[in-house]
Amino acid sequence: MEVTEVSKFLARTTPFDQLDSAQLAELALQLSVYYCQAGENVEITHERLLIIRTGIFALYSDQQQLLTKLEEGDFYGYQLLLTGLADNDQLVCEEDGLLFWLPADAFHQLRYQYKNIDIFFQRLFGRRLHQYKEQQSSRFTLKVSDIVQARKVSISGEHSVQQAAQLMTEKRVSSLLVEQDERLTGILTDRDLRTRVLAANLPATTPVQQVMTPKPHTIDKHAYLFEAVQLMSRFNIHHLPVLEQGLSFSMITATDIIRSQQDHPVYLIGEIHRQASIDGLEQCALQINNLALVMGKQQVPAHEAGHIITTITDALTQRLIKLAQQELGPAPCVFSWLCFGSQARMDQSINADQDNALLLEKEPNGIVGDYFAKLADFVCQGLARCGIKLCPGNIMASNPELRMSLKGWSGKFAKWISSPSPDAILKASIFFDMRVVEGSKGLFNALQQDILARTNHALFLMQLTQTSLQRTAPLSFLRNFILEHDGKQKKGLDLKKRGISLITDIVRVYALANGITEVNTRQRLQQLAAIGVIDSKESQNLSDAFDVLAQLRWDKHLHDIAQGHDASNLLDPAVLSGLQRHQLKDSFAVINNAQSSVKHRFCKEM
Amino acid sequence: MLGWLIKKSPLYEQVKQFNAVALPALTTPARQCNYLAIDLEMTGLHARQDHIVSIGWVPIVKQQIELNQAKHFLIKPPVSVGQSAVYHGVHDKDLKNASELSDVLQQLLTDYPGYLFLAHHCRLDRAFLQLAFQRQYGKAPRMQFIDTLNIEWHRMQKQGTVMKKDALRLPQCLQRYNLPISAQHHALEDAYSCALLYLTQLKKSHPDITLGDILQQSS
Repeated sequence: MEVTEVSKFLARTTPFDQLDSAQLAELALQLSVYYCQAGENVEITHERLLIIRTGIFALYSDQQQLLTKLEEGDFYGYQLLLTGLADNDQLVCEEDGLLFWLPADAFHQLRYQYKNIDIFFQRLFGRRLHQYKEQQSSRFTLKVSDIVQARKVSISGEHSVQQAAQLMTEKRVSSLLVEQDERLTGILTDRDLRTRVLAANLPATTPVQQVMTPKPHTIDKHAYLFEAVQLMSRFNIHHLPVLEQGLSFSMITATDIIRSQQDHPVYLIGEIHRQASIDGLEQCALQINNLALVMGKQQVPAHEAGHIITTITDALTQRLIKLAQQELGPAPCVFSWLCFGSQARMDQSINADQDNALLLEKEPNGIVGDYFAKLADFVCQGLARCGIKLCPGNIMASNPELRMSLKGWSGKFAKWISSPSPDAILKASIFFDMRVVEGSKGLFNALQQDILARTNHALFLMQLTQTSLQRTAPLSFLRNFILEHDGKQKKGLDLKKRGISLITDIVRVYALANGITEVNTRQRLQQLAAIGVIDSKESQNLSDAFDVLAQLRWDKHLHDIAQGHDASNLLDPAVLSGLQRHQLKDSFAVINNAQSSVKHRFCKEM
Repeated sequence: MLGWLIKKSPLYEQVKQFNAVALPALTTPARQCNYLAIDLEMTGLHARQDHIVSIGWVPIVKQQIELNQAKHFLIKPPVSVGQSAVYHGVHDKDLKNASELSDVLQQLLTDYPGYLFLAHHCRLDRAFLQLAFQRQYGKAPRMQFIDTLNIEWHRMQKQGTVMKKDALRLPQCLQRYNLPISAQHHALEDAYSCALLYLTQLKKSHPDITLGDILQQSS
């Protein structure tokens, strides 16, 4: 017979809470109980599951970094049990407590018998908060490859337009890819044949290359469908060649998209590009929260939602710039509209504020200066009216200090990098996540290359690292209070400040140290692992932890806006499910470990 | 007369066999010994006239409570459990699946020779057990009891703690060490609680404390 005190504890502990009383009794009978005293090292090299019954246990990495604190209902040992690979962790009892041990065979039997328990430990191990149905392709997350088939209909530029027309008729398509030596050189559409051949009274022997649209916009086969919509709306085109690894793969048309998703709310982007006034854009922007809620219902994962929200902000910005130019006339010189921070990283949330600036071909004096001052005011105020709040730190193109020539920007970055003061770095770190939203890509690339050529600078990286270490992840949330590093207790957990930003900061240091041009945190991590700067396990761990935190924040935001509140990053740990609580703690442990690594790597002199 | 001897001899043999397994020497480190925490619920306080209602036990091996050997038996009463039934939460109707006392005693003899027995305030439990063995086998086995209540008293004396009334009762002891508190007056729950308390006492003693030291504190 089982000890009721033990089975009652199991009954209120995730994932055992789903077992019935007979199953709980059977489980309780397989445990060994051990009393541990403060200061004692817990034996964790055996393959068995450790369940904390009472007390507090500190988990240290092999580098003596405190990773997390385990308390009632927490587990250890499933990592070794699931993979056979031991971590060189150390588990030290901090406050006397009782431990339950479940032997390896009993653990495996349990997983075998109860699918949900298996899934729980697998997910805990994989840090996956939600399991999405593999085949479910939501309207939001459809990719270009989901709706176009590998049906390449192409012709070479030397062929006549008549041959092209015959091929189009035969293949029943409205457009052709034009290729030279397997490289895409242009496209030819029904409309081109009408307007550029027939109407222009050209002969049927006219070569295709004379009337085609050269250097067309293209889209990668793995891009999201809404990005194709974005491109088509923005440039008012109806045909986009689809590339696979740089080579033409197929063609996607506006009709394809309409057919695939008649009522796609991301048509919002299309709507945005059709607006002729700020009032119109403001009306469009009012739909963002609803769109977010629909995405929530469709279980769009957080990182995709962030991507979509960023795309909308981009579209609003692009449209506002167009509207400004309609009012102010064409720009007196080439410019790049830059964005920083989360918009640059493509992981914007619905409560994000503006972070933008202008990079100009010429010095912002005289006419140039006046023009861009007006343009920036128009766009920033316009974005604010669309619900994207003005930046409290004045990191906006409307700030004259942030409208500079390439030389100006380059000098500003060079100063940050070569003589980094901690205070300056703290303010500047946001600028190092940068992307061009509108205008010249070439100008932007020149600036980015200039910056990345400088950033592998030991003192700068050390200061940047120190800045990134100023905040830490909570070690524990005892009785739903966040236990801070310094032992202070605080109600509510800032998912951004105490989680997401910490990962972004760490990853930025590595990216800048290695001249990585990617800005998105997940892509930076992939790149860093690909070039061997951090090992793939650590990259994966950080990426998983990032997803867990981003997902929790996204869910929290959805919850807030569904209640009619402003989206807030502050989470009450009491509302977490058992699995979420475990995964959150685990993510914090990953952050603590990564902070220790980055410190080791870039702050050696200290 | 001879017939009586022969009839009893197999049982008597079992007691002898139990006794033949030596207990650990007094110099053995107490953390290395095997223990069986045991608790009895009875109909009253007098071994000669009252009955055992239930027996629960759980062993400690290498400082670990092994729950897979945890046992709880309801004992078939010779008569109705009467007035004290409410107190123990055991009713006649629950006793359909009850065990014969003799079977339970035999299991103790077979499975736990060489073990030290643990109980909180062991006097009554020991008295009832010994009498039951006496009646069943004609002889009680040599069972070495350790009393967690006495050890606790000893510890508190040594620390100079002023003892409040009830300070030595099992729930109060558990609470003192932040140990989970089970339902009271259930033989297995109490045996488990007693085992938890002993693990704690053992941990809080000098790492090399011997069995002899423990027995001294226990007496």
